[in-house]
Amino acid sequence: MYTKIGFIVNPISGMGGRVGLKGTDGVFEKALQLGAKKISPIKAKSMLNHYISNYSKNDKIKWLTCSKEMGENELKKTGIKNIEIVYIFKKENTNSQDTKKACKILMENKVDLILFCGGDGTARDIYKIIGNKIPILGIPSGVKMHSGVFGVNTDATAKILHEFVNHRLVVGEVEILDVDETLYRKGEWKIRFFGTAKGIVEPTFVQVGKTVYESVSDEDIKNELSEHIEDEIEKYNDYLFLFGPGGTIDYISRNLGHHNSILGIDAIYNKELVGKDLNEKKILDLLKEYERVKLVLSPIGAQGFILGRGNLQLSPKIIKKIGIDNIIVISTPSKLISTPIIRVDTGDKNLDDTFKKEEFIMVVIGYRLSRVVKVG
Amino acid sequence: MKRNSNAFLKNEYEELVKKDFDWKLRILQSGSTPHSIVDGKEVIMLCSNNYLNLSNHPKLIKGAIEAARKYGAGSGSVRAIAGTMELHMEVERKLAKFKGTESTLIYQTGFAANAGLIPQLVGKGDIIISDELNHGSIIDGVRLTKADRAVYKHKDMGELEKVLIDADKKYDRILVITDGVFSMDGDIAPMDKIVELSKEFGAMTYVDDAHGEGVIGPDGRGIGAHYGLEGKIDVEMGTFSKAFGVVGGLIAGSQDLVNFAYNKSRTWLLSGSHPPAVAGAQYAAIDVLETEPEHVNNLWQNTKYFKKELNNMGFDTGESETPITPVMVGESSVAKELSDTLFKGGVFALPIIFPMVPRDKARIRTMMNAGLKKDDLDEALKLFEKLGKKLNII
Repeated sequence: MYTKIGFIVNPISGMGGRVGLKGTDGVFEKALQLGAKKISPIKAKSMLNHYISNYSKNDKIKWLTCSKEMGENELKKTGIKNIEIVYIFKKENTNSQDTKKACKILMENKVDLILFCGGDGTARDIYKIIGNKIPILGIPSGVKMHSGVFGVNTDATAKILHEFVNHRLVVGEVEILDVDETLYRKGEWKIRFFGTAKGIVEPTFVQVGKTVYESVSDEDIKNELSEHIEDEIEKYNDYLFLFGPGGTIDYISRNLGHHNSILGIDAIYNKELVGKDLNEKKILDLLKEYERVKLVLSPIGAQGFILGRGNLQLSPKIIKKIGIDNIIVISTPSKLISTPIIRVDTGDKNLDDTFKKEEFIMVVIGYRLSRVVKVG
Repeated sequence: MKRNSNAFLKNEYEELVKKDFDWKLRILQSGSTPHSIVDGKEVIMLCSNNYLNLSNHPKLIKGAIEAARKYGAGSGSVRAIAGTMELHMEVERKLAKFKGTESTLIYQTGFAANAGLIPQLVGKGDIIISDELNHGSIIDGVRLTKADRAVYKHKDMGELEKVLIDADKKYDRILVITDGVFSMDGDIAPMDKIVELSKEFGAMTYVDDAHGEGVIGPDGRGIGAHYGLEGKIDVEMGTFSKAFGVVGGLIAGSQDLVNFAYNKSRTWLLSGSHPPAVAGAQYAAIDVLETEPEHVNNLWQNTKYFKKELNNMGFDTGESETPITPVMVGESSVAKELSDTLFKGGVFALPIIFPMVPRDKARIRTMMNAGLKKDDLDEALKLFEKLGKKLNII
């Protein structure tokens, strides 16, 4: 049985970085004028070479890719066979439309995984088309790589691919983030949370026999986390609960019967939704009304940010008012494996330092089960 | 509704077989001896827990026979009703003296001790703090409680302290629980530091010393004696099933602990007591440990020699400090292959593979036996070297 891998290289990804642009979205011409060189084809080849030399011996893969520098060249130069070109791009240089069109065709071809080489912008383009229907794995090559879909480096990505093809890794949730590039070029640095995609993660195991472990589905874990938070809401029945963004928290909210805003901040009191997709001002208004507040957050995979990435509504003023002790951090164990450090970037150095002084934070990873994680 | 009430038995078993997760039982045609007959083949035994080879000691056998002759084959009842014989009490008194604690209580098995006692020590509003690599029977004991649970990184005292600081603010009772000797890596918990930190926060300490009892500490008195902490660990849990060569679980600690434990542990209250032969052998095992130090000495001499030779050959034996010596292999498939070929060559050692250990840390777990001679060890080592080279491990 062959695994069908959809392979996309964004050949212009990463070009902006070398010439001081924080990205290549919409400014490719400028990057070129500044003397930028293409780097993602090199990264893609490096990953493929590592894969071929170390792992591919018994892996059965059918590669579906795009013409020329969007994948075909890299695969052929590495000596990979069993390639089918499913998308031919026509213009001299590719753009994000090509990535999106290629994704549509890969989806129609029912690939098992989309392996791409690019940065946050490419991940976002893919996510816009794929959503959470097909898992995504990124070979890191962009200027920005905040999203959780990337391997740590090209070699690590090759290993993940090998483990996935051999069913030793499973599909789980990863966040898609990116800097708002238009705002950035106006001098504002805002990282937006675009959604929860499917990525490749370590499975979670529980011991069922002396030496037999069964992998537990992400859904089971999220149900446990849900039960935990429901208990907390009952225990602290005079507290307002603010739910941060992210797929895990969204799942909990839905279990409580609410259709919350996956990208926004919602407020729950006594299991009832009392505020949805709140901005800073609305949250502050609620804090006047409710004295006691718990804030439920989930870290961004790999990078570990619980504040300052994708939830800027939670301003330093709000966090100070709620109090660090009232923050409940939750995560699936599989996400925590790739997230050794919890980070904050609230924009207020003193507040960030208060978190760092704590040195650690307890992260809830199951029903009534937590583990200690370092704060960096 | 018409349903096939037993269909799941076959289905689930077949599913296990399909995944190769079923236990393929190896059958011993001899006693558990340094050279055992397993599935019709004579092998050097490197995977039994009979560390001191006491299961074959003449005094233990004699103790069992004499007790059976005197008191019969069974005890007739649970301990709480009419199954406590004077012999059971004698073993517990002798054990307390051996362990240097005020009192002890013997459970039917080590698992029964953990599953019976842990859920009674903590409940709602309390927290159990556990090393991430703790043994399955602790994990099950923990699962039975209504207490919250927090996990710290293996032996990381910095993390333990951090969890204690956090727990101190939120919970009533705090129970810190750890394996004494960790069964996968053979390393020892830093019990001195665990006790010190726990005392600082008023937390109870509980150590599962199944692999340390009879092995570490002077005369094999276990982890408390190893660190000079006799009587300072709130619950020292151990077993008669491994180095002691018999069967049964034990706890050692204060008289308050024992009074509490036997009145509250459902596993103890609702299981029949040990047959007299078991108690007689247990008594003899403690006696042997007190009077014949050569068994523990041999075990350590064998361990040191075996580890040193493996290391000289280029094998990585991890962080082991005890007679559990992991031979690191890497990939799970290689560990399985090595174990199979070792068995064919006359050495019985178990592969430990992912997810029991991390993906790249599959190993052969060897457990030393005091009854093995240098020639036996050399024979096993020769085979390890030959196969290690063949499989590109060394």
